[in-house]
Amino acid sequence: MIFRAVEETDLIRQAARGAVEAYNLLVSRWEKRVYNYLLRITGNREDALDLTQDVFLKAYQNLRKLDDPARFAPWLYRIAHNEAYSLFRKRRPESDVEELELEATETSVLVGGSSVFPIELGLAVASALERLSPEQREAVVLKIYQGFKFEEMAEILSCPVSTVKSRLYTALELLKAELAPIKARGLS
Amino acid sequence: MSCSPFDLRDFALKELSETERQQVEAHVRGCASCREEVERLRLTEAALFALRDEEIPQRIAFVSDKIFEPAPWRRAWAAFWGSTARLGFASAAMLSAALIVFSLARPAGTLRGPVTARVNPPAAVAPVSEAEIQQRIQAAVDRAVADHEARLQKVFDERVTEIERRNEVTLLRAASELNFMQREQMALVRSSYTLPRTGNGEYK
Repeated sequence: MIFRAVEETDLIRQAARGAVEAYNLLVSRWEKRVYNYLLRITGNREDALDLTQDVFLKAYQNLRKLDDPARFAPWLYRIAHNEAYSLFRKRRPESDVEELELEATETSVLVGGSSVFPIELGLAVASALERLSPEQREAVVLKIYQGFKFEEMAEILSCPVSTVKSRLYTALELLKAELAPIKARGLS
Repeated sequence: MSCSPFDLRDFALKELSETERQQVEAHVRGCASCREEVERLRLTEAALFALRDEEIPQRIAFVSDKIFEPAPWRRAWAAFWGSTARLGFASAAMLSAALIVFSLARPAGTLRGPVTARVNPPAAVAPVSEAEIQQRIQAAVDRAVADHEARLQKVFDERVTEIERRNEVTLLRAASELNFMQREQMALVRSSYTLPRTGNGEYK
């Protein structure tokens, strides 16, 4: 049983019927990705871990409401997104969440983790990401690091695909200017 | 502004269909500015991957807490069917219960006495005692042993007779040889030995 490849949709169906072991296996498959998504949009490891716990609890309690098991990933990230923004609202209730700059986004957090790239590049990337708006940064995280399609991102962020594209394209232009500047023509 | 048939950012982000992707690739091969743009987008993406995922500091384990699990009857049912040991114990308990029920429900008196098989002996055969059987067996064994020993003795005697006959022949041959050799030796001695004679040829 341990070594048998188990389809995710089967696990989701079993978990929805109350199979705790199936849900544990689902959690083990997704916890690292969800944690890193939350870490990159909150910039705080403790917050990311607490939110990850909350996300999986909420997902377990609402798993029966998931009609299509194939949509589990965007559904799970939608919960993660909502949990993160709930936290932001609690912390700064007077601010408009859409304009909220994520606090405690530390460069060390963004650079953290093992990397085969030079530390200078990691710092440059972290710095470039910090300069993005929260929405732009979240779009980059969902697309580049989590590999979602535009439609899935729209579902997660609860916004039109056009909005997703707009945020992502703007973010890409900014990142490109920082990380891949145009070569000075005529110079070797 | 790009002159590509499709957005190069969608191309770099792998959001184009296979056909669209091939069209962009064909365009980029002949367009230096679009090729440079695609290269910059790829560099940007590669740079972003300088930030790797972190390991989660601790595993998510809240589902082991019973309070988060489904209804009690569902938990009990899942625990029951999820445990091989419990299932085995339950099977053994059911088997034991079935045995008890069977023993209690069985009609009384069915198996009161020991089961005995009745075999009628043939009328024509006279009863023979155990001692007589043993005596007959012993007699048969004695006869067989005696016959066997007699056969062995006969073979032994024949072998001894044969050996004695062969020995006698050999001795006779040896004696004959010895006699022949003695006579040969005597002849040799006689031929080599001459009595002293006188001048006129007579024996001294």
